Amino acid sequence: MLKRLLTPLYIALSLLCALSLNAQAKQVATTYQFPLTNAFEASIAGTPSALRPALPDDADIRQRDYSLRLRPEREFTLPSNFWPVKTFHYRLAKQSGPAPLIFIIAGTGAHYSSNTTEYLKKLFYGAGFHVAQISSPTAYDFMVGASRYATPGYSPQDARDLYTVMQAIKKQQRTLQVTDWHLTGYSLGGLQAAFVSHLDEQEQSFNFKRVLLLNPPVNLYTSVNNLSRLVHTQVVGTSETRTFYQLMLDKLTRYFNSKGRFDFSEAMLFDLQNSSQKLNQNELAMLIGSAFRFFSADINFTSDLINRRGIITPPQQKINDGTNLTPFFKRALLCDFECYLQEQLLPFWHSHFNNQQATQVAADNADLERLIQASSLYALTDYLSSSKKIGVMHNADDIILGQGDLGFLKQHFAERLTLYPYGGHLGNLDYLDNAADILEFFHE
Amino acid sequence: MNKPPLLRRYWAASALLLALSQQSWAQTIDPDGFKNPLQQLEFNSALKQHEFERATLEALNISDPLEQWNRRVYHFNYRFDQWVFLPIVKGYTKVTPHFLRTGVSSFFSHLGEIPTLANSLLQLKGHRAMETTARILFNTIFGIGGIWDPASKMGLAKNSEDFGQTLGYYGVPSGPYLMLPLLGPSNVRDTSGIVADYTLDFTVNWLNVAKESERHPEIFALKIVDQRYITKLRYGQMNSPFEYEKIRYAYTKSRELKIAE
Repeated sequence: MLKRLLTPLYIALSLLCALSLNAQAKQVATTYQFPLTNAFEASIAGTPSALRPALPDDADIRQRDYSLRLRPEREFTLPSNFWPVKTFHYRLAKQSGPAPLIFIIAGTGAHYSSNTTEYLKKLFYGAGFHVAQISSPTAYDFMVGASRYATPGYSPQDARDLYTVMQAIKKQQRTLQVTDWHLTGYSLGGLQAAFVSHLDEQEQSFNFKRVLLLNPPVNLYTSVNNLSRLVHTQVVGTSETRTFYQLMLDKLTRYFNSKGRFDFSEAMLFDLQNSSQKLNQNELAMLIGSAFRFFSADINFTSDLINRRGIITPPQQKINDGTNLTPFFKRALLCDFECYLQEQLLPFWHSHFNNQQATQVAADNADLERLIQASSLYALTDYLSSSKKIGVMHNADDIILGQGDLGFLKQHFAERLTLYPYGGHLGNLDYLDNAADILEFFHE
Repeated sequence: MNKPPLLRRYWAASALLLALSQQSWAQTIDPDGFKNPLQQLEFNSALKQHEFERATLEALNISDPLEQWNRRVYHFNYRFDQWVFLPIVKGYTKVTPHFLRTGVSSFFSHLGEIPTLANSLLQLKGHRAMETTARILFNTIFGIGGIWDPASKMGLAKNSEDFGQTLGYYGVPSGPYLMLPLLGPSNVRDTSGIVADYTLDFTVNWLNVAKESERHPEIFALKIVDQRYITKLRYGQMNSPFEYEKIRYAYTKSRELKIAE
């Protein structure tokens, strides 16, 4: 009886909620059942393997890594231990006949062969696309082998670098039969995909047919700040002498002991979270924050060294294969992304792109504001509202978003925004429903 | 059975207190649907916590007196991998069907059970020794000399114990970190372990493979190619200028975990 009364009420209520909250965004089916409702757990563990789509086997994909010489001068000016990244590499999977080609731009610090990029490759390849995978402009290999100024963070320049790479790929693969060009990117790569698409409207090299942004930052500075804050969660008691890493390792040791065997795999992650040694919310956040700090350290070190700024590595320092880099690693680790922004990106941007002459006193803050504005989705507001080919998928509990960001997406993308209730940052990207939605977007 | 009202009141009060103290867990959702997951976290209030810095700088302290040499070997291995090893593995996967490669992998993995058994016994891990013995028996008989692995299908998971772990189990410290040519990351203790296990392999001469490899070095070569084929590690996959430090940390800690378990 009670149930009969409550059910219509519940439906009416949830409909009302859905209507008022998702006034414009495309409706995600109410049956959306992504199992991880904790944003941090989802961001780290991703989708359980049983709920992922069927994908082609690596052995069944015609793929290869190709190299491009985009910055030949650096082969001489950079130390020898950079040898693996002095030529730029990308991965291309080819269909046997004519097909559309999709570029995938990797997320912050990520390599073209990272897990998420590989997953997307398989998904698109299985749907009949040629797929080109490109490292993030914030990644070590891209900064050294492709980036003109090697100071990532200013989206228009990052997009320019990406565009140069894509044009070089097109030229190198001119015998490949491409019917249409498509573009996607996840996380920071999503934001950059929007800028690349905008650039393409002027340059017309590709005339992208569809462009999909997957969990992009809306305000780049908000996302960076969120990730930077995660290392400040409460994880270690004041009386604790062990460090955070030791605590994690001790948990793993106890977990493996109770299991009776050592086995490090994805399935283990889910099992660990169901055991008594489960990592709590703060610890999961700290792990994500730590990963971001390691990316930041790589960017710090690489940008400083290529431009000989002398902030991390003394300009006269001789470096070869045997040089101990740990002291520079330590220095780079102590400088978080905000510190990179203040010490490297902002001064660089000021001298290269900011023509407005301001007095030094009030300039710094105004500079930062303008840089953030120019590097975030705000800079493309008109383009995003009017261009029907661009879509975005996001999660209501994504950890890189801030207040008002979803409002911005809803206002400017309207029905081209697909909003999922859960998934954290990219955790649901390989969930069955999401995979189907992604493919549908490109087949429309 | 009624609980005394006092207790009940105490319960209610503590539940309330708990709810209050966990205020940060109560999620508020923005009008645009944003759930703001960061509101669920407890931040170190003063933001003065330097736990990341403390933990990371401490983690970089790994005994590595031979660092100059090790780093050069790391670069040598990286180049060798790209220019020799991986192309060979690629050719190997091209000319052999999948089931054959699986057979080869099971066969060599089967041979590797002998050191696991010996080292489980040395560490007095009776259950593990029995499991491994059962695996050797089943796989030799039903798996035709180990080219199949029916034991795993029967629920007997493969263990891995080596002499380096045995030494660690009895408290022998790891000693300085070592990057071995072709073999990759190790340390002084584990390197002596590799030598001991190799000698053991040769003495036991299980299925006559060790002795036969002497006359037919191609068996040894196949073993090495198979080893590279099943090892997932690719130099450069961390895509970081500090990959050397990261591999050193990951190797050292994973060995500690394996020894503790």
